[in-house]
Amino acid sequence: MVDETKLAEKQETVETLRKVDDDLRLPSVPERNFFPKEIDIAPARLQTPAIGQRATRPDGRLHGLGQTKYIDDMFFPGMLHAKIKRAGVAHAKIKSIDVSEAQKMPGVQATLIGSEIPVNSFGPSLQDQPLLADQVVRHAGDGIAAVAAVTEQQALDALEKIKVVYEELPPVFDPIEAMSEDAIKIHNNDSNIYASKTIIKGDIEQGFKDSDYIFERRFTTQMVEHVPMEPHASIAEWDANGRVTLHSSLGRITLGRADIARTLEMPINRIRIIATVVGGNFGGKNEITTEPIISLLSKKTGRPVKCVFTREDEFISSTTRHPFIMDYKTGVSKEGKILARKVRIVCDGGAYCSWTETTLGKASILSAGPYNVENLHVDAYAVYTTKTVTGAMRGFGAPQVCFAYESHMDDIAAELGIEPLEIRLMNAFNEGSSSPTGQVLESVVVSDSLIMATERFGWKEWQK
Amino acid sequence: MTDITLNVNGEVKTASVPPETTLLKMLREDLNFTGAKIGCDVGDCGACTVLVDGLAVNACLMLAAQANGKEVLTIEGLSTLDKYHPIQKAFEDVAALQCGFCGPGMIMATKALIDQEQELTRDQIKDALSGNLCRCTGYTKIIDGVIDAYEKITGRKVPARNPRAA
Amino acid sequence: MIHRGKGIGCMWYPIGFTAAANPSAATIKVNEDGTATLLTGTVETGQGSLTVLAQIAAEELGVSTDDIHVVSADTDATPMDTGAIASRTTYVTGNAIKLAAEHAKQILFEVAAPMLGVQPNQLEAIDRKIQVQYFPQRSLPIADVALQAQFVMGRPPIGSASYNPPTVGMDPETGQGKPFSTYVYATQCAEVEVDDETGEVDVLYMSAAHDCGTAINPMLVEGQIEGGISMGLGFALQEEMLFNDLGQQLNPNLTNYIMPTSLDMPEIDVDIVENFDPTGPFGAKGVGEPTAVPTAAAICNAIFDAVGVRITSLPATAEKVLMAIKDKRLSNQRALPAAE
Repeated sequence: MVDETKLAEKQETVETLRKVDDDLRLPSVPERNFFPKEIDIAPARLQTPAIGQRATRPDGRLHGLGQTKYIDDMFFPGMLHAKIKRAGVAHAKIKSIDVSEAQKMPGVQATLIGSEIPVNSFGPSLQDQPLLADQVVRHAGDGIAAVAAVTEQQALDALEKIKVVYEELPPVFDPIEAMSEDAIKIHNNDSNIYASKTIIKGDIEQGFKDSDYIFERRFTTQMVEHVPMEPHASIAEWDANGRVTLHSSLGRITLGRADIARTLEMPINRIRIIATVVGGNFGGKNEITTEPIISLLSKKTGRPVKCVFTREDEFISSTTRHPFIMDYKTGVSKEGKILARKVRIVCDGGAYCSWTETTLGKASILSAGPYNVENLHVDAYAVYTTKTVTGAMRGFGAPQVCFAYESHMDDIAAELGIEPLEIRLMNAFNEGSSSPTGQVLESVVVSDSLIMATERFGWKEWQK
Repeated sequence: MTDITLNVNGEVKTASVPPETTLLKMLREDLNFTGAKIGCDVGDCGACTVLVDGLAVNACLMLAAQANGKEVLTIEGLSTLDKYHPIQKAFEDVAALQCGFCGPGMIMATKALIDQEQELTRDQIKDALSGNLCRCTGYTKIIDGVIDAYEKITGRKVPARNPRAA
Repeated sequence: MIHRGKGIGCMWYPIGFTAAANPSAATIKVNEDGTATLLTGTVETGQGSLTVLAQIAAEELGVSTDDIHVVSADTDATPMDTGAIASRTTYVTGNAIKLAAEHAKQILFEVAAPMLGVQPNQLEAIDRKIQVQYFPQRSLPIADVALQAQFVMGRPPIGSASYNPPTVGMDPETGQGKPFSTYVYATQCAEVEVDDETGEVDVLYMSAAHDCGTAINPMLVEGQIEGGISMGLGFALQEEMLFNDLGQQLNPNLTNYIMPTSLDMPEIDVDIVENFDPTGPFGAKGVGEPTAVPTAAAICNAIFDAVGVRITSLPATAEKVLMAIKDKRLSNQRALPAAE
């Protein structure tokens, strides 16, 4: 029987040798240096005191010269390329995964499925997410299997040959629907609500009684992707001492290393993560993704393994910003002073927890806005749905609630005939104000920022 | 396999590549010019912008074979040992780049724009860079950098925008 | 017809979460010539944090930013850090670095004291010199002191420290407690044009006034704010992941997922609100995330001002705005008395 893997490797070797031979026939000229040899340092970097200086960035110079080595710019001898097969179905039981045909594809050196990972779960607060789904698929971007091959194209071709048999389960896309008692349970828990938060301050009922007007409005926001220009990328190299070195686009290496050690069941000191340069994070690169997978593929093959997300992988499998459904009810005096506010947040928590608990916490605390609200009641819930994972993204829920509380503020201002700037100045936190959690606030400059931004804008003189 | 000869940054380079190889892959993997980046690989983001015979192209959309015999300028070809290219210098000075992944493409698009030697307005600069996506900077300091470089290279001035209240 | 409008978005944002441990550690090694190497486990993800952290170390040692070389993000070589998340780097990692630099500086002071004939606590590090407080003429170049420390006294000036914002747990029933160390505040104002025939919204101008405590590097702070506005603008008007009935994403590419380009960006004026937080390194707080927070609110309020429709569901796409304008017209028509 012809071993196609061997054949492909042999062919690859012949090609490489031929290329080497070609190269040898050319005169050997060392690569040019593409940078100015004299270093011209901007004065701000050289001045003391250093604080307050508009100092330029040494890494910025390398970026502009094209010399920064992002993960995808690194090539190691014998390096393989890994690609991940995605489920494509939103909710299903996995009956079987067959990688045997994929293993026979040209250039393929190894495959990996979830059951081969020592501890196939991770997550910053709840470890509810598999690295590669092996029992149940909970969103269409779930990884099912990984392939490492000589070229990226060979890896992609091999993915097509992986056979997965699913028993489809009903999906749940709407978080409100997912909250109901008879909704299908995505994680076999009693409820799809997996995190909640309550903040109570003052007497909400009395606050509403004292109010001259009560305003109510529902606000909703959408799911958003971080879109770092550099997609998630990592390279793993397993060595003879059983150590793995990972070059990874990870924004959080110390905790990432602990997570990887947990999934691989190995001592932390056998893992090295280098994340010298990351091409954009915005919260999306705060968790491990493929690092344990490619570590194991490197262990299996004895070669370095690189995995770079395609832009599609980036969208469908990496974390996103939580969609929120926010119900605001605010009681105000006829002068425009906020006397009571009730907020209910339902956070579409996606298929796995990720940074949802943190997001829910921040959103709840911030949901009243930078305003003195003596009587406050916030209830917030995070709900599993069979959609892309929602996690940390620039602001952890703050942009969502800010959209709501500031829109609501202008509704109130318009109805009462108060200038939007005035109603904000009237309600804004001051030095020593008490936050919704009863924290005494210091270095408070809400009014200063309102005045500064509106003066720069020319707010008062501005005409349509 | 197809034999491709390119003049990259003033030096003749040859490689034998599979016919489906894009110019971007050839530059990065066969010739070790990794300055041009793979941001989307389908011509949306512009991170792979290089100049082919003086025109800015998305190297991910051009086959290496289409560039055969042509002159290619990549980010690595701008500065020399003796001279820091004014666009790169301007980008550094104003902190135009943050994560920097879009930088090489952005700078090559800028080079193509400035090379046209025409009067420029802020709007024309925005227009010329609209095919290069950046997630970090809001393009603001990038545009500052382009203006700075343009004014230094051409001696012309870009009309300042109307100031708001101070 | 084109209508113009103006809108405000005001916000607050926490820096340095304390509901869980949030530590950073750092090491500073002062070299024999007074330059120094800083080891930090945080990751440069584009913000320019390494430059800001170098400035903090430089300030404490009285040297320039360029005198500090930063080694970052290698778990074998650099100390523990909670990471480049939650706008914590300047504040938490910065505090750790300031403390580490203080420790290294203390060694320099102890070495310099006998050289200058004073007590260590009478010294200060300023302008690449170790000098006697109030007597700037009695000073030594930091290079001389560092060399003396390493080669004569055998005391390499190395400092290590960690920082964890003080914790007060939150009451699970009421949420009362101190979940964050400090907060930043900001306002953004937007000027928009809305086309009532197409629903299209064009953001013409934005002013932004952000508090970040002391701005360690104003140029990089401006960069954060401008970038945050672009992300906020995408959130307000353009960006949305769309799914089909099977839960598959319809637009998993940059062709159909519309993030802002240079053409979508308004002209921006940035102001940094002067402030000083006593708990931050040299009064600094943070700036990364808050910049993206109030933009959508400001834009939607400007839409309301322009055409009188309240967008309650983001993104405010042209379709949605046009629908809202049509609904408003319809309800206005209904309000008229029926014609005979």
